[in-house]
Amino acid sequence: MTVLTESAARAGVDPHLAPASLDPEADLMLLHFGPQHPSTHGVFRMDLLLDGEMVLKATPYVGYLHRGVEKLCEKLSFVQQTPIVDKNDYVAPMTNEQALNMAFERLLGVEVPRRARWMRTIFAELQRIASHLLWLGTFTLDLGGALGGGTTLFMHCFRERESILDLFEEVSGARFHYNTHTIGGNRHDLPAGWDANVERALRVIESRLGEYEAMSVANSIFVARTRGIGVLSGDLALELGITGPNLRASGIDHDLRRDAPYGAYDELPVRACVAREGDCLARARVRVDEIRESIRLVRAGLAGLPDGPICGFKPIRQPTQVKIAGGQAYVAIEGPRGELGTFVVGGGDPATAPHRLKIRAPSLHALSAIPYIVPGHTVSDAVAILGSLDPIMGEVDR
Amino acid sequence: MAVTDAGPLYRLPLAGEEEVAYEHPVLGSVLQAPGLSLAATGVDRLLTWGLTNSLWMFPMATSCCAIEFMAAAASRVDLDRMGTILRGTPRQTDVMIIAGTITVKMAPRVKKLWEQMPEPKWAIAMGSCAISGDFYRNLYPVVPGVDTIVPVDVYVPGCPPNPEALMHGLLRLQEKVRMRRAGQLVVREASPALLELTRPTIARLGDPARDRALDRQQEQAALHATEAEPAGTLSEARPPEPPATQARDEVTPSLEALLRDEFGVTDLPADAAPVIGADRHVALARRLRELGHTQLVYIVATHFPEKAGARPQPERFEVAYALRSVGPGSHVAAWRLSLAPGEGAPTLVGLFAGADWQEREQYDLLGVRFDGHPDLRRLMLPETWTGHPLRKDFAADAPCRPWR
Ligand code: SF4
Repeated sequence: MTVLTESAARAGVDPHLAPASLDPEADLMLLHFGPQHPSTHGVFRMDLLLDGEMVLKATPYVGYLHRGVEKLCEKLSFVQQTPIVDKNDYVAPMTNEQALNMAFERLLGVEVPRRARWMRTIFAELQRIASHLLWLGTFTLDLGGALGGGTTLFMHCFRERESILDLFEEVSGARFHYNTHTIGGNRHDLPAGWDANVERALRVIESRLGEYEAMSVANSIFVARTRGIGVLSGDLALELGITGPNLRASGIDHDLRRDAPYGAYDELPVRACVAREGDCLARARVRVDEIRESIRLVRAGLAGLPDGPICGFKPIRQPTQVKIAGGQAYVAIEGPRGELGTFVVGGGDPATAPHRLKIRAPSLHALSAIPYIVPGHTVSDAVAILGSLDPIMGEVDR
Repeated sequence: MAVTDAGPLYRLPLAGEEEVAYEHPVLGSVLQAPGLSLAATGVDRLLTWGLTNSLWMFPMATSCCAIEFMAAAASRVDLDRMGTILRGTPRQTDVMIIAGTITVKMAPRVKKLWEQMPEPKWAIAMGSCAISGDFYRNLYPVVPGVDTIVPVDVYVPGCPPNPEALMHGLLRLQEKVRMRRAGQLVVREASPALLELTRPTIARLGDPARDRALDRQQEQAALHATEAEPAGTLSEARPPEPPATQARDEVTPSLEALLRDEFGVTDLPADAAPVIGADRHVALARRLRELGHTQLVYIVATHFPEKAGARPQPERFEVAYALRSVGPGSHVAAWRLSLAPGEGAPTLVGLFAGADWQEREQYDLLGVRFDGHPDLRRLMLPETWTGHPLRKDFAADAPCRPWR
């Protein structure tokens, strides 16, 4: 069945076309790429219909990591869910926690103290740096191959990422999966001397970022592999619900931190990093720029960090303490991968659990671009495109 | 001592079976020859030394633990010091590191990949998910521990284990390999206490309760990738409390005006987005897009089971939609459809390409039909799955034989 498409943005690509119609003589090759492949960033599968090296059609399949998180959240009480959603986007657990708790706060009408909002903002920006560093390292690994030239930057980026994990470990005791946000604020205050450690880590990252740029977005081999590859138009990106760096790389100037401020962003102006081209190189440039911007924001946040309480809700003593009898709320924040939202319906059974909870995962939308932007490229470019979208399967499949 | 059957050389003993020492197929017989044993022992030592210090690893990396695995391979911990090397293909590796949650959709692939690894081979279960399923263990799509399908040699607990813990696990494995080669008895890794704590719903390899039929079943399931049995037992579900007034989802003044003037909707609830008739739904989305809400945000279906009592309510589904205007002053316009069971919602795929996967996901998890969708298949669960897990009458711990 075909649907009447009212969209010019799709440029005539029909992702539902049967492969047989592209391959009437049955002499093309169908390559199963994944779900276990070193460069699929987790368990993701694409079926690539190949004419030689050229991809004619790409069909993505997800769900190999579907863990039933939304069902689990319907069974657990509100206060038990923070450590669960940590595991969704496991490269940026801080922002997961923040999006979840902000939705509960909206439903409960809880006011978050100013210090907690600033702390959350600092955490989110540090997490963005760590997440983008991990992305840069693994993306060059995708391009260079595990034993090829990509390993150098991978090693460098992970070294810097570790310094941020150390900072989080100081605060929460965990390298990741922090469980530090709670309804109404944060659970752990900043340890003494933390800001000096942050400054030290930021200075190291900042001083080395130029070198990393020279090894990636300014490197001629990197540019040759990414320029003009996987061009995603701004209109199509909007239609697909793509958000975050992937959207901004397609020339859409939209950043929730600036356009629908939450946390401390109403007091901390954010510069959205935008590129026009919409190709893999633009996506890489946007992310590297965002590391710089986040470093600036962390510094500004620490400089202006107010004193005061860190939680505006009565201390949690037992899991059944929080009850939400009804109502619906959707709260979204700008995670490292884009609009990370929590849609929650109150009035569950019992009222200490949500009736329905849905995580709006930016990576799921990003992956749905694959049928539109991969065809016409070679298999090696398909790897580059997949990497440049920065999907995290934990939040795609939940 | 001879190897007991034609199965793998190295595995955990089955119930009632003596633990047998690993015996090299060639060297074993050479050792019997008089006079040769001295030389052979020397050669064997050399081989053991080489084997333990060049364990090549196959990363069966699925989720969060994989990130810690990468961190272990990266600069700070540098796993490569131990002579390991990561290979992307199972055919060149000795150790499978299972890092992350294994789902019923992935399990046949794991088993297949394990079978493609050449003997002798070992497995390390990294993290609580691989060990026991972690807190997902009682959830419908998760295999409660990878040792139900692959014989695990070393368990590295943690959620996630530190890179140092993985390193320790690898050292343990080296020790184990060394002992096996020397013919010493190796103690089973998982303590009975742990097995008791995380009692599996299906028997582990080497458990007394496990029988050959289950092995065969898994083998068949692995060969014919998704031949899972229908799942879904029904559990009692009580109706929810009546909703109290709470924070309303963002309904912009422009949406309110639009609904009132063009769609004749005056009944705007205080605690949720307004409800629209299914016939006006696509027209509303089109109008909103013309008004600048160009980005698709979400499509979420919710199941409300039948409610008895003072204010009885029939069973229904609600589908919530939201579109966003981008740029400064960005806001969300949200609305809902209320559907009776079996009723379909008109698809938005014609307007928004992103609706394709969103609608498939809701169809998969809740069974809401989207009329006119060009390809309404399951998105998350295997094609052969029956039932829709996010319905209130679907038990969260529905078994799915033979994986859970
Ligand atoms: S054990 Fe924890 S960290 Fe590891 S995969 Fe499972 S949930 Fe993620």
